[in-house]
Parts: sequence; structure tokens; C-alpha cells
Amino acid sequence: MNEETGALAIEAQGASRYYTMGEVTVRAVDDVSFTIERGAFAALLGPSGSGKSTLLNLLAGLDRLTAGSIKVAGRDLSTMDSEALARYRRLTVGMIFQSFNLVPTMTLSDNIELPLRFAETPRSERRDRVMELLTNVGLAHRASHKPTELSGGEQQRAAIARALANRPSVLLADEPTGNLDSRNGQEVMTLLRELNEKMGVTVLMVTHDPALASRYARQSLHMADGKLVSTVEALR
Amino acid sequence: MIRQDLLELAARNMRNARLRNALTTMGIAVGVASLVAMLSLGIGLQGFANHQLMKSGMFQTVFVSSKQEMRNMDQDAKPEESPALNDEARKQIAALPGVEEVVPEVRAMSEVDYGSKTNFTLVAALPPSAHDEEAVDKVKGRFFSSANANEVLVQRDFAKKLETDPDSVLGKTLTIRYAERQSGDSPGSFSIERKEKQFLIVGILDTEPFGGMRISSRARVFLPTQTAEAMNLMQPSDTQQLVRSSPGARTYSMLTVRMKSAAYAEKVEESVKKMNYSAYSYLDATKSIRRFFAVLDMFLGIFGSLALAVASLAIVNTLVMAVLERRREIGIMKALGASDGDVKKLFFAEAATMGLVGGALGVSLGWIIGRAINFGTNIYLQRMKMPAENLWSVPPLLVVGAIVFAVLVSVLAGIYPAARAAKLDPVQALRYE
Repeated sequence: MNEETGALAIEAQGASRYYTMGEVTVRAVDDVSFTIERGAFAALLGPSGSGKSTLLNLLAGLDRLTAGSIKVAGRDLSTMDSEALARYRRLTVGMIFQSFNLVPTMTLSDNIELPLRFAETPRSERRDRVMELLTNVGLAHRASHKPTELSGGEQQRAAIARALANRPSVLLADEPTGNLDSRNGQEVMTLLRELNEKMGVTVLMVTHDPALASRYARQSLHMADGKLVSTVEALR
Repeated sequence: MIRQDLLELAARNMRNARLRNALTTMGIAVGVASLVAMLSLGIGLQGFANHQLMKSGMFQTVFVSSKQEMRNMDQDAKPEESPALNDEARKQIAALPGVEEVVPEVRAMSEVDYGSKTNFTLVAALPPSAHDEEAVDKVKGRFFSSANANEVLVQRDFAKKLETDPDSVLGKTLTIRYAERQSGDSPGSFSIERKEKQFLIVGILDTEPFGGMRISSRARVFLPTQTAEAMNLMQPSDTQQLVRSSPGARTYSMLTVRMKSAAYAEKVEESVKKMNYSAYSYLDATKSIRRFFAVLDMFLGIFGSLALAVASLAIVNTLVMAVLERRREIGIMKALGASDGDVKKLFFAEAATMGLVGGALGVSLGWIIGRAINFGTNIYLQRMKMPAENLWSVPPLLVVGAIVFAVLVSVLAGIYPAARAAKLDPVQALRYE
């Protein structure tokens, strides 16, 4: 885990992302400010089109702010150039998606090795690291399988293993159970909670399911029309 | 990303679209093959022509004559300004830097007796250096044993006149009857006497010396130069000199100046011209030939490159397709932390791999095509009763150059697709289903 100073994992200040479509300016994320503590399990809720996915992409360093700032693990994303953002995506955050986004032509172990290649991890350490990650998500026996040979739940667990390959401090999840049946969804959620509790990874999960949020997250951020409408801290 | 990972990923991507990449690579191979075939032919033909010219000793030879000579090649010559080309001049020219040998052009029509047969033919001197220069090739028997030996070489068709089996003239003797100039008492007179001399036939020439490019090449019987000079053969220039208003010592109609290398030719030619003689070298004449080959090579190269240019468009097409097809994968890689540069390098690696494999295949293919053409040409030449020639040359530099060129062209073709892949917005790419 990256040992940065401060207790905050994420700190957004007036974060905004506008799109211009012809004459019209769409305020996908509009002046959003919030903080998430280190080691938290947070949920980002809202109806579709509320801007929660755009906000997640901003946090993931895949999209760029129009205004405001976002600090993750103490580092300001708004000042990073594209090379620094790539580094940030590689080492500081991990991301999982509703549709898993595993490379279909690669085996699981190759998929998980991919971020290690980008991080230039020595080749001698990679095999062990890949096996360790697969073991953590209970898929060691599936290492040489292609994603299509696995169930949705297994695919998402493999994606989680891949997202954690370079030991990020923050894990961003975009509707991680959206494509899963309830049993597989629960399995994935349990795994996320386990990783959060045992390894101290900060988790921020986008979902439109308030029940899921209240069950797993200690902090819920609600968005509507690009704005943050409420922040709820669950008592534990 | 380290290079090994880059290459592994590139190889994996190429395996996934095996047929398409193989076809594109074959396209490059055909392009390179046509380039190699064209250039090898150009280089081969040039080498062939150069070899023929080298045989004639052309590039390291300057022909000097006095402007008083009527056969002079310089049209605007003012004969009265030019000094006589005599022994004094010969020594001066021999002393110029780079000059190895100055020999007079000695030739005379003579009667040649062999057994009971008598032939009237042209006899000429052949400098011993002609052998080292490969000006004479295919000697049956041997060359002169020394510069002043009483030996002759005969042309094969002349030998045929002497014996039904031309090879049997070797080791036999022939007699040359000739006109000897004897110096007179005054510069304005000399006497001529009929002489005979016996020679041993040591060799038969299958081809004309100096590639048939000199006046003396037409002779049927050749003597060593020193022997010929010692014989004081009456030369046509002797009578010309005699009838001049101010007759002088014996002059040469032409001196052949041979340099250590072609590099000296220009300087020697200049110095001789300063001495007010006419000088002529084939370097002047071959300038246009060499220019012709440079232009020919260029055109062959351009035509050969056309196929490669088409192949490079195929690379652009293949990689643009790959970018479209792998949109999502590129998005995933970016989300996992691949930088724009990593993505770009990956596509360049794929382009370069196609270029390298295509280049290597193409060189082999071009080589095979070339061998086939050469083989065919030689069958044709043999049917025409001509000696086989190597019209085909693939120097190592061409092999390396062609492969490097193929890689370079491929990487250039990869610029646009690679830039497009690198610029891909990961948010868009990942949203796309």
C-alpha cells in the first residue's frame, strides 16, 4: 500500500466536468466536493445519467476535470499530464467494470500480468505475483483459462485480481454486480469487503441499488443531475 | 513498458489476426522482392558492364598523341603548337606521378610464314601488363614468358587458318617478314630494310585483347612490346614525319599511358594536355555510361519501390483495422495504466515486425527470382553459343539495406494508426459495446 501522508484517500474540491455538444453545455459533473477516508468502503449512488460514472472516470484518471480539483492519496489529478495520469492509473488506483473488461483473447494469468507489464515489474516476480493474486480471489485453478470459459462471478473476481496487481490504495468499482446474478453478485461483494477489511484498500463503488449500498458501504454519496445531493455516513 | 513485453504483446496481437497479418506481410515481401530483383539486376548489369570496361584497362589508361598527327582525335587542334611525340616526351610522361607504364602503339601489316603457308596480316605489340589487367582472358597455352621474349600469341581464327586443329600450333614456330626502319645519316632521311624473324607460338587467344576496344585488338598476331620495339618496325607515322617541313627524330603516333589506378587518370590527362599533346581517356567516354547506370538504378529502384509503397498502404489499412477492432482492448490497457506512448509503441512494434519478416522473406524471394532470371538468361546465352555471364548481383549491403528499408517503410506506415490508437479516449472505448 502506498504510504502517503494524511487520512484522506480521496478529496474532491468543486470537481466539474462539462461537455459541449454544439451550442449546449452538458454539466455531467457539476461542482462536486467530498472526502473519503483512507480505508473506507464508499458507494456512489444515483439514477442513470446523474453523473456518477463520469465522476468515477475522473477519479480513475481516465477523464479530465473541466474545473476544480481531485486529490487521490494526496496527489492532485488536475495538474497531472497524460504520462503522470497513466502512472497514476497504473499504480495508485485499480478499476473494475460492470462488464468486467477482461481481454477475451488472453488467459486469466495473462490478463493479470498486463498491469505488471505496464508497471515494468521484473519478470521473475510476475509469475508468483499473478498466482498470489489469483489465489486471493480463489481462481488459482483457472489461471490458464480464457475469460469466456468462466462464469460472470469468476470473471469479475479475476478483474478484481487484475485491478489489485500493482497494489493500489484505491479500488474504483463501476456497477461491479450489474451483470451478475444475486449469488455471484453477493460473492463479489463479499470479496470486495474482505479486501477492504483485510488489506485496507479504499473502495469506492458506483451503484444504482440503494440496498446494496446500505448493506456494504459505510458512506453513501448521492448524485443527481451532476450534483452531489447528500452524503450519508452509516453508523457501525 | 520494457522491450521484451512490447514484443510479446505485439506477437500475441499479430497471432490473433493471423491471416490478415500474414497477407500484409506477404504484401511487403512481394514489394521488397520486386525492389531487390530490380536493384540486383541494375547492380548486376552495371557490374557486368564495368567488368567489360575494366578488362579493356580503360579506366587507368590515357592515350596520348601529338597534335601533329593527322589521325588526331582533337578537332580543334593546332598542329604547329604541339611538340613532337618523341623519346624525350615519352620519358617526361613516364615521370608523371602515378604512371606505371608508357608503351607505344606498335603495329604493322606483315607477312607471316607458317610451314608452307603464308598469310598477310596485322601484327601488333601487346604489353605484358595486359595479362595482369585481365585485358586478355582465355589464353590457351600461356602468356609471354618475358617482355622481350621471341614469342607470339595468335588469335584463334588465325590459328584455324594455319592448322585444321588450331591447338596444334602451340609450340611451333612462325616467321614474320617485316619492314625495319634504319636510322639514316640526316634527320631528313632513313632507310627501310626487309627483315625476317622467327617466333615461338606460346598461346592462342579466344577473345580480342582489351575487350576488343583498342585499335591493336584487331591484330591476329601479338608480340611482347619490348620485342616489337627492338625490331624497329616501320610505322605509318615515320613517313608522315619525313615529309614535314622540319623533319626530326623518330616520333610515336600514339603512346598508351597506364596508371597505377584509375584515380590518377584525370591528373595525368591534365598534365599531358599542359604539355600540349592531345590526351584521351575512356574515363571521359564512360562518364555518360556511368551516368546512364546511375539513372537506370534509380528508375529500377523507383519501380521496385512502387510495390513496396502499395504494401505500405496495406500496413496502414491492417493497422487501422486493428485499432478499430481493438478499441476496447486499447481502452482496457489505458485503464490499467498503459501510457499513450506504450500504446503507440505497441503498434509500431507490430508494424516493424511485419516489416522485418516481410523484408527477410522478400529478400529471399527476390534472390530466388533473380537466380531464375539469371539461369534463364544463361540458357539463352548458351543456346546462342555465347559464354555464360553473371548479370545478377545481390551485395550484402542490398540485403541489409532492403530489410532496413522495409522496416523503415513499415514503421512510417504505422505512424498514423499508432497515433490514432494512442489518442483513443479510454472512456469512449470502454463505453462502446
